[in-house]
Amino acid sequence: MHIHKEKHAFEPKIVAFVCTWCTYAGADLAGTSRMHYPANVRVVKFPCTGRIDPVFILRAFQKGADGILVSGCHPGDCHYMAGNFHARRRFAVFRQLLDFIGVDLQRLQFSWVSAAEGGKWVEVVTELTERVRAQGPMPEFKELEAEEHWSGAIDTPELNAAYNDI
Amino acid sequence: MTNTAHTIDTALYDAVTDALRAEAKKVLESGTAAAVIGWQAGRRRGSAVPAIVTDPADAEKLIFSPSCVNNLALYLTKAKKEVREKGKLAVVAKGCDMKALAGLMGENQLKRDDVYIIGVACAGVYGPAIRGNAPLDDGTLARKCRECAAELPEGADVSLGTVPRRPAFTPHEAAELARLEAMTPAERWAFWKEHFSRCIRCYACRQVCPFCYCEQCLCDRNRPQAVETTPRPAGNMAWHMVRAMHLAGRCAGCAECERACPMDIPLNLLNRKMAKELKELYGHEAGFQAKEKGPLAEYREDDNQSFIK
Repeated sequence: MHIHKEKHAFEPKIVAFVCTWCTYAGADLAGTSRMHYPANVRVVKFPCTGRIDPVFILRAFQKGADGILVSGCHPGDCHYMAGNFHARRRFAVFRQLLDFIGVDLQRLQFSWVSAAEGGKWVEVVTELTERVRAQGPMPEFKELEAEEHWSGAIDTPELNAAYNDI
Repeated sequence: MTNTAHTIDTALYDAVTDALRAEAKKVLESGTAAAVIGWQAGRRRGSAVPAIVTDPADAEKLIFSPSCVNNLALYLTKAKKEVREKGKLAVVAKGCDMKALAGLMGENQLKRDDVYIIGVACAGVYGPAIRGNAPLDDGTLARKCRECAAELPEGADVSLGTVPRRPAFTPHEAAELARLEAMTPAERWAFWKEHFSRCIRCYACRQVCPFCYCEQCLCDRNRPQAVETTPRPAGNMAWHMVRAMHLAGRCAGCAECERACPMDIPLNLLNRKMAKELKELYGHEAGFQAKEKGPLAEYREDDNQSFIK
């Protein structure tokens, strides 16, 4: 069985931070059920969504991710009782911070995928990949990463005023 | 807008200074506290620096003036162990400092019984680079004070002074926040990129923050390194985002980070934004009452999850 693979000009890098109990098992189910989903996604397994620090998302963006998926157990199904409830609040707030800094939230997806939802995993990953593909590469963090030295402008009006005050 | 219409009556500060000296003397003599953390006159005329007074005779050194900007709650954290070793402490707190103290108590960093809080009414403090005995008006008032709603601390052991009627100042930070929120994401990115690339990573914002008391900061760690430590734009952006995230729901809004920043990065804007979001999302607000759990340390089963697929 070989499905026709479409060629694209741009293949986005998607990093998926998943919880080992639900989404990882769900992705596994998608695999054992021989479902197809974009190979753009790199899965990183965590014990729980509660373990996923916003720093990981920043780091992934800096290291070249174009889109990020964070996925775990449905509310109430957490292996550790409340990890995903805490994660839900944390990411709700982190999203607002990213938005305030000026990051496009379309590149960040949160989802609940249980171990039985292989189909949903395929759906979520495909949707995110296609959305990010349509948007093209994410330049912001990569450009920032490439800027080598501190290059602060030291001739701002405020600093000049402060200098003249001395 | 004329300055004369917006000048705060500074008689309050002298009245509070007298009451403060008497109170500090009483506290030290009666043994209620082993040391009083307050402010004393700095070397430059009109300036003030934090002071720790242990001798009742030295209580006369304490002052309260619009130059008393420092948030003294900082001296009660783990980060300043050598201060806590002095025994039971008394601390002078303005309204904004009282919120920080309440936050520390909520986080079990401080027991209410271990500290004697001398609350002082405050009509505002000077903004950066104001020297001498300038009048407290539109031009010299700190930005955070323009929209302050915590002039009189609640929940202190003793409260000194009454707040005079303050003229209504045009809010600066709220306006700036609204301006940023109205921008497109690309404009906001450019705004923050410009500000963060100036950062020299001196970590003054961290050292001066009462809530940054971790003994080992995530951002100082290598192996694994979460945040680049050199002052390059990428690491700076990450550091400021991590800082905003770690303070979300904890920040008491004293704006010390912004005051201490040598590069004039508008850090309190980030703090205000996070505070605003947490109020909208979870109804949390920093207040005078110690809350057992912050908004990111608890949850409700019916929290909004419209952003999750």
